[in-house]
Amino acid sequence: MAPVKKSKKNAENINSRLALVMKSGKFTLGYKTVLRTLRGSKAKLIIIANNCPPLRKSEIEYYAMLAKVGVHHFSGNNVDLGTACGKYFRVCCLSIIDPGDSDIIKSIPGEQ
Amino acid sequence: MVKFLKSNKAVIILHDFFVMRKAMIIRAFDGDTRERPYGHCLVADNAKYPKKFIHKDFAKKKAKKSRVKPFLKLVNYNHIMPTHYTLNVDLKDIVTLDVLQTRDKKVAASKEVKAHFEERFKTGKNKWFFTKLRF
Repeated sequence: MAPVKKSKKNAENINSRLALVMKSGKFTLGYKTVLRTLRGSKAKLIIIANNCPPLRKSEIEYYAMLAKVGVHHFSGNNVDLGTACGKYFRVCCLSIIDPGDSDIIKSIPGEQ
Repeated sequence: MVKFLKSNKAVIILHDFFVMRKAMIIRAFDGDTRERPYGHCLVADNAKYPKKFIHKDFAKKKAKKSRVKPFLKLVNYNHIMPTHYTLNVDLKDIVTLDVLQTRDKKVAASKEVKAHFEERFKTGKNKWFFTKLRF
C-alpha cells in the first residue's frame, strides 16, 4: 500500500541522513545535552525516539517551540535510534548542532 | 534557534528553597564566569504571592493581601523551566551583580523590586506571573 511504503522509505531516509550527520556533522546525544543546546540556541534539529516518556517529550517540544527549532519524532524506539546513530547504546533524544554534509535539516521538517 | 533565555522572560524555578516559584530573568549569563562555570541568570520573583482577594474585602484587607515579597537569586539554567510569558518590568538598573554582595544592598534592591512588582500587580497585567502555581 502506498502509505506504508512511504513511511518505510521515510525511515530509511532519516537513517541514512543521520548516518551522514554522525560522520560529518556535530550532534549531541541525550536529554541533558539536548536541553543545553536548546537553551544555548545551538540546536538545529531535535530528534526524539517514540518511547521517550511523555513528560520528557513534551518538555523538549516546549523548549524547541521557544527556541523555534524543529522536532522530529523518530519512528522507532531509543534502541533503534541508537543503532541509527551507529552507537551501541540507547538514545532517547538527540540534537543536531551542525548537519555537515547532510541535508537533514532542510528535508526532515518538510516531511513532518 | 532563537535565544529565549533573555531578560524579562518569565521562568519557573525548579530546585532549592524556591521551588515552583515564578521568576523573571534580569540578566542571563550564557557563558561561564569564573565562579560559575555554567549558564546562569539573575532572577527576581515573588517569595509570597498576593492572595486572591474579593472586592467585598475592605480596602485595608485588600492592601494587605496584595503584598508581594520578591527575592533575588542567581540560578543555574538547569534549575529553570522557561515559559513563553514575559514580564516587562525594567529591573536592570536596580538589580545588578554587586547588589548580591552585601545583605544591605540586597535588601534595598528587593524593596525597589517589590515596589515595581506591586505596581505591576495592581494594574492587573501579567496576571499569570502573580498567581501561584498549583500542583
